[in-house]
Amino acid sequence: MFFDTDLRKKILFFIIIGFFFVLVFQLYQMQILENISYSEKSSENSVKEYLINAPRGTIFDRNFNVLVSNKPIYTVELIPANYSKENNPKIEKIFNLEDGYINELLEKYRSYSSYLPRRIKRNIEFQSLVWLEENSEKLNGLEYIVDLQRDYPYGIMGSHIFGYLREISADKLRNYSEEYQMGDLIGSQGIEKTYEDILRGEKGVQYYLVDSQQKKIGKYLNGAKDIPTTKGNDLVLSIDGPTQKKAEELFENKRGALVAIQPATGEIIAFVSSPQFDLNKLSSVTSRDEWAKLQTDTTKPLFNRATMSIYSPGSTIKPLEALIALENGVVDENFTVNCQGGYQYGNRFFKCTHVHGKTDLIKSIEKSCNTYYYQLFLKIGFENWSNFMQRFGFGHLTGVDIGDETSGILPTVEYYNRRLGKGKWHEGMLISLGIGQGEFATTPIQLAQYTALIANNGITKTPHFVKGYIRNDDNAFVPLEYSDLKVDVSKKTFDIVKEGMYKVVHGAGTAQHIKIPGIEIAGKTGTAENPHGEDHALFIAFAPFENPEIAVAVMVENVGYGGTHAAPIVKEIIKSFLMPNEQKNMTIISAGIKGE
Amino acid sequence: MKIGYKIQDKFDFGIFLPLILLMIIGLLVIYSATVNHPTASGNFNKQLVSAVISIVAFLVIYSIPEKTFRISAFPAYLISLLLLIVVLVVGKTVYGAKSWLSLGPLGLQPSEFAKIGLILFLAHWVSRDDRDINNIKDIGVALMIGFLPILLILLEPDLGTAIVFAAITLTMIFWGGINLFSLFIVLSPGIVTFASLFGLPVLIIALVGILVILMFFKRNLFTSATVFVVNIASVFFFDYGVKLLQPHQQKRIEAFLNPLADPLGSGYNALQAKVAIGSGGLFGKGFLSGNQTQLRFIPEQWTDFIYCVIGEEFGFFGSVITLSLFLIIFIRLLNLSTITKDKFSSLIIIGILTLLFTHFAINIGMNVGITPVIGLPLPFLSYGGSSLMVNTILLGITMNIYKHRKLHT
Repeated sequence: MFFDTDLRKKILFFIIIGFFFVLVFQLYQMQILENISYSEKSSENSVKEYLINAPRGTIFDRNFNVLVSNKPIYTVELIPANYSKENNPKIEKIFNLEDGYINELLEKYRSYSSYLPRRIKRNIEFQSLVWLEENSEKLNGLEYIVDLQRDYPYGIMGSHIFGYLREISADKLRNYSEEYQMGDLIGSQGIEKTYEDILRGEKGVQYYLVDSQQKKIGKYLNGAKDIPTTKGNDLVLSIDGPTQKKAEELFENKRGALVAIQPATGEIIAFVSSPQFDLNKLSSVTSRDEWAKLQTDTTKPLFNRATMSIYSPGSTIKPLEALIALENGVVDENFTVNCQGGYQYGNRFFKCTHVHGKTDLIKSIEKSCNTYYYQLFLKIGFENWSNFMQRFGFGHLTGVDIGDETSGILPTVEYYNRRLGKGKWHEGMLISLGIGQGEFATTPIQLAQYTALIANNGITKTPHFVKGYIRNDDNAFVPLEYSDLKVDVSKKTFDIVKEGMYKVVHGAGTAQHIKIPGIEIAGKTGTAENPHGEDHALFIAFAPFENPEIAVAVMVENVGYGGTHAAPIVKEIIKSFLMPNEQKNMTIISAGIKGE
Repeated sequence: MKIGYKIQDKFDFGIFLPLILLMIIGLLVIYSATVNHPTASGNFNKQLVSAVISIVAFLVIYSIPEKTFRISAFPAYLISLLLLIVVLVVGKTVYGAKSWLSLGPLGLQPSEFAKIGLILFLAHWVSRDDRDINNIKDIGVALMIGFLPILLILLEPDLGTAIVFAAITLTMIFWGGINLFSLFIVLSPGIVTFASLFGLPVLIIALVGILVILMFFKRNLFTSATVFVVNIASVFFFDYGVKLLQPHQQKRIEAFLNPLADPLGSGYNALQAKVAIGSGGLFGKGFLSGNQTQLRFIPEQWTDFIYCVIGEEFGFFGSVITLSLFLIIFIRLLNLSTITKDKFSSLIIIGILTLLFTHFAINIGMNVGITPVIGLPLPFLSYGGSSLMVNTILLGITMNIYKHRKLHT
């Protein structure tokens, strides 16, 4: 060695070893000899923070009727650190939980502090609460809290509009650990999902003195350090409560969908997908029974038919066909076809519903003459046809603010080239597209959007449910912006097509029976062919004819003709929205009669 | 003949394995202390990233040529001083000390990186052949090399880190071959001032002890008298210095002397830390199950009080295992310091050993209540990227020295 280090090394060695043993001795003294006294100190009175869930924002309709609010419920929580698993069977029985549910829950959140409460059941019944209170001495680690649950006081279901809340998934929880705690509810469908951040609010904190069993024994400093919750912002929907209610009534025991839009703004006035499901049940029950039931139901109530189901638009597409032909100058309004009950193309005969005789463009819409449109389709040309369809929103998503949506099928040249091969198909094979059959498939909301475009001469906005929100800080209304949808077509063309649609109701057309005194309606019936059973009834309409305020599309599954089954529904919806007072008067009159 | 190298010959697992184990334990307890914490729940992920970067830094330092350290010694020291000055001007104040430099999204503590600068440069200076460490001038210069960063750090003010720098300087001078009398001159003022903390009787006993030792050395009267006067002066100087300290630091010194006087004030942390450790018992309350930790009785537990999470959740058993891992590293470093190729490398290792040991002793000491609450992180375990990275880099330097320890390579 290059210098004498022996002694110095020894000195350092003894300092290190010496200190090591001092520490070990001190630990031995504290953790072994004085452990009992320290343990007592540790479990003495201490302060514990309780996070208080913020009330979610209220959801209003366009006239500030409360559609969705909150109601207080009792929720049972379990704190694993103080809980004994021997109680599992008893508790599972009392609270109506499946066997093994508690173990499963504990396992799921194994990696979280055992002092954080796990919510085991929401909205417990009063008897269960009494039982819990009476047996609290024996049930360490079980507590109940007053929590909030969604309430639907207006009496509409709106299951596909509002959507439901579910417990936050473990994955999401990891990514949003600042905003959410385990067991928190988070919007997982519909408006509750899309506007989660606006509706959520901020949690509050309350401090309690707790004993070693973590039972509350009083408020800490009389609540001086508590942080109040901040309620979520209130949403204002464009839904019209009474009209929505009417629409839901009209769809009772029917399967189908309805979308009503204000043409100029894109605001959705009413929106139904039937059958619906009960949001009340979903928001209170943790059990998977209700889920299993909904998921296996053959009528598919969870499926949003208004945005997800696709059907041939049938004859409801004819006004648009006429529009395309006129706008392209292929024909003018005087183009006439002599309908002899069908159209011969090559060796195939395409049928019409009736023998319409001499038919011009207006009459073709009014009477829904197929013969006319087989020929019109060939004149327009397939490529031109699909380009125009696309501009009216078909084949892509409308972008409505409730998530789940499908774009339908709009056949294009590329589509057939890919499917059948280039040169292996010709337009003659596609003639039935001209009457809205064949491989053309649309969603009800696309039909409503298209109707709105016709009604408002080619200008509307992305269909949406939410007009804006009321900011919690200052009660200011914050409107939300939506993008424009414009189709450049001459007003003259629109006027001709609209005249045809007007005659469907007010002329000798296919929906004469839905006239409402005082309101001029323009519409078009349709029937989507269904190879598996009864046809689906379709109807689109807008009103009032001069300054349209509402555009509606209705689809009713497996009932037959659109004029017979879908049009009357549209009539009631238009009446409800445009003549709200008359409805009220009727109720007053009938109430009066009952009174006598 | 080809020498059959085993990997151990070039890479010391006696240091590397305890290092890795300590880092893993650190991550576990940081997770436990911050899980579901409203503001600190992201700390585990940040520390995980720091740990990975640190290991990479360790391997990089391990691989660079050994002469790098000698070449970079002076520049590293100069840059350290520069950064310590910069932080006083534009630094961010955290817990009452202006010790942070913000570089975009990253934060950096110059005093952490200054440790590398001090150790390298002091080792370089003391190991030069023309130095005589018992020459009063050379001692003076060596002390000055340590004193400059200490002064700057005291201005932040960060008492804990200043103590660490003082310990490094003194121990490296000691290792440099200082004789007992010179050592006594350097150390005695510190011992006397420390004694003064415990009141007048203890101070008088200490001063009497100094007198006895001075007689034992039998130097001339002038020298002896000067040393004695310097000792007394240092007590007054210290007393004056304490008044310049931040109120929270004064309180901490008081709290150490009597922790029960103000259980909810500055002694609160010390008391709760002891309760946490003491209530851990033999095997602890289990991971994520310590009520002191999970109910957040100890503020900012993931930094300076991380050891009491181990004490509470893993008990005596876990606490002693952790201590033992440190002990292995310390003894290993001490042994390596005598088998290096040259004095420079040996001094570096002793500097590193002193740094780690001082942090260890003060941090765990305050956790178990035998040293004052002085804010110093526990190496490899406490949350904090700068500290973790510097400490692993230092061990990387050690490993590099170990690899090149043989003269023929």
